[in-house]
Amino acid sequence: MTSIPPAGTRDRTTGGAPRAGGGAPSGAARTRRILARTVVGLLLAGYGLVSVYPFLWMVSAAFKDRIEVVRGGHLIPENPTLDTLVDTWNTLHFFDFFLNSLLVTLYTVVLTLVIYAAAGYAFAVLRFPGRLLLSRLFVSLLFVPGVTVMLPIVLLENELGILGTHWGLVLPFVNGGAPLSILLMTGAFAAIPGELRDSARVDGASEFRIFLNIHLPLAQPALITVALLTAIPTWNEYLLSRVSLNDRSAFTLPLGLQTLAAENVPQYNNLMAGALIVVIPVVLLFLCLQRYFVNGLVGAVKG
Amino acid sequence: MTTAPRGTAHEKAGGGTDRTPPAGDTTAAERPGGPGARPPRRRIRTETVSGYLFVAPAVVLFAVMGLYTVGYGFLLSFASWNGFMPHWTWVGLDNYADLLWRSPVYAPRVRDAGLNTLWVMTAVPVLTVVVSFPLAVLLNRARRMRSVLRSVYFLPYVTSGIAVFFAWQYILKPDGAVNLLLEQLGLGSLQQPQGWLGNPDTALPTMIVVTVWGAVPVSMLLYLTGLQTIDASLLEAAELDGAGWWRTQLSVVWPLLRPITAIVVLLNLRDSLQGFQTFLVMTNGGPGDHTNVLGLEAYSLAFLKELRPTLGLASALGWLLFAAALLLALINLRALRSKT
Repeated sequence: MTSIPPAGTRDRTTGGAPRAGGGAPSGAARTRRILARTVVGLLLAGYGLVSVYPFLWMVSAAFKDRIEVVRGGHLIPENPTLDTLVDTWNTLHFFDFFLNSLLVTLYTVVLTLVIYAAAGYAFAVLRFPGRLLLSRLFVSLLFVPGVTVMLPIVLLENELGILGTHWGLVLPFVNGGAPLSILLMTGAFAAIPGELRDSARVDGASEFRIFLNIHLPLAQPALITVALLTAIPTWNEYLLSRVSLNDRSAFTLPLGLQTLAAENVPQYNNLMAGALIVVIPVVLLFLCLQRYFVNGLVGAVKG
Repeated sequence: MTTAPRGTAHEKAGGGTDRTPPAGDTTAAERPGGPGARPPRRRIRTETVSGYLFVAPAVVLFAVMGLYTVGYGFLLSFASWNGFMPHWTWVGLDNYADLLWRSPVYAPRVRDAGLNTLWVMTAVPVLTVVVSFPLAVLLNRARRMRSVLRSVYFLPYVTSGIAVFFAWQYILKPDGAVNLLLEQLGLGSLQQPQGWLGNPDTALPTMIVVTVWGAVPVSMLLYLTGLQTIDASLLEAAELDGAGWWRTQLSVVWPLLRPITAIVVLLNLRDSLQGFQTFLVMTNGGPGDHTNVLGLEAYSLAFLKELRPTLGLASALGWLLFAAALLLALINLRALRSKT
């Protein structure tokens, strides 16, 4: 550790000079390369620490008891306890909130995949009048601010009688994800070679069969990407839920968490335990699917 | 955004092969794309019908949840209403005038919130690019740890929501981890005894840092994918010409990634113009409106004014935000086009 700071400065000076020295002594070049690698590694690790810093304290507080969390102090709990987590889970009926969140997320993801995979297929593959106009209309939705439509959505749902229900969340969420989902799905389907379609058509397959049996399986990375990009914000969604849900039995996890913070003196160990409960499922989901996710996104950007 | 033009381009090229009629009749299958290409009429008809069927669910949902609500909100912005009375009162452009200059109550608030928003809109995109571009360059060099680090860097995005904002609130408290860290580093003079969000001078910069922290993951990933599309021979050529590592990054890599910078800037501009969830959860505009932003102002006009007739004002403010976002997008697109 002690030798690192000088290494950093040295690397910076040599890095600026032209490196094509042809016959540079290989020993010096090697040390330089090792130093450069060390600095890069340290910088990368440093930002990694910045990335996880709030989580470290979230986890730490979730395992502290009421007294220790007030004293602040160390990242490592002195008397780590599971009571805080269990306590938070039970007293707040987190299981109900958890189930609500799970249902809302599941409905949203499934509907998003079904609706926008079909739309993306039509935009990428089928030619029909109005195709360009429609796809542009969907993309332009990207620029409508959430706060502008939130109020009309609430008023509309009130009239439709779905305000305060989970459908009142799912439908706006699905619609809100339209631009990105359609872009990703269209890109993925357009990248599938047309010869595959042609031969299927020769064999007399219907458009639906071609979509279902050829395109969907080949677009799997994009489907997973869309699913993740839908699931993560839906799971974390807070604003629309806050203004549309009244009945505690319909609350999602973020709203349940909010009730903890809204107490006069928030108990930070309970609050962080609740936060941890909210965060863990998405983190696990992401870690399981991240390989597909990154590939899908890379494909979309490259495409 | 990048996919759309490419998708259609492919579509045009692929359209020709698409139409090559299945079986024997070769005469109809000539040029791709040209208006003369005559696919069998039945195919056109089935393709049109199935096209509409495939987009129908999306269109129906969009019509109700998108077009209807957008139109509704637009009309509402010309009305005065508290949400409870049976009828709207039409006031024409009054809401807009009140927000922008006329009302002694709302205009100053909007101006202050606008100024805060302007700070966020300037600082967040710049800082995000400044952090995520070098990060992506470095990460692209690291071979072994790349996927692990990528996951670690992505955590802020995965968890972005009120859970992690509460965690930030917790470590920014007067006796929170950030002050503690400063003390341990011997930088005790930088501590904030009122907490980082409690001091009017540090609240907004702190919120900007938290926002950038949340924006870096996606931007970094976009840069990383951009870096992987760069032809390695270009970099070798630069090296052969005697360009050092820094020079290569600045004169070759950075210009090549300008389209990605444009996307990153645009996304962050939009989010900082319209986003306010972080602010609502962490500061609720405080202390003393020092972190009030336009999105938050629109939100409180819409949902926190109980019986006062501010719903029209909220809508009008939302549309002003929309207009600003559109303008920024156009400027951004223009800038992008003129440089590539």
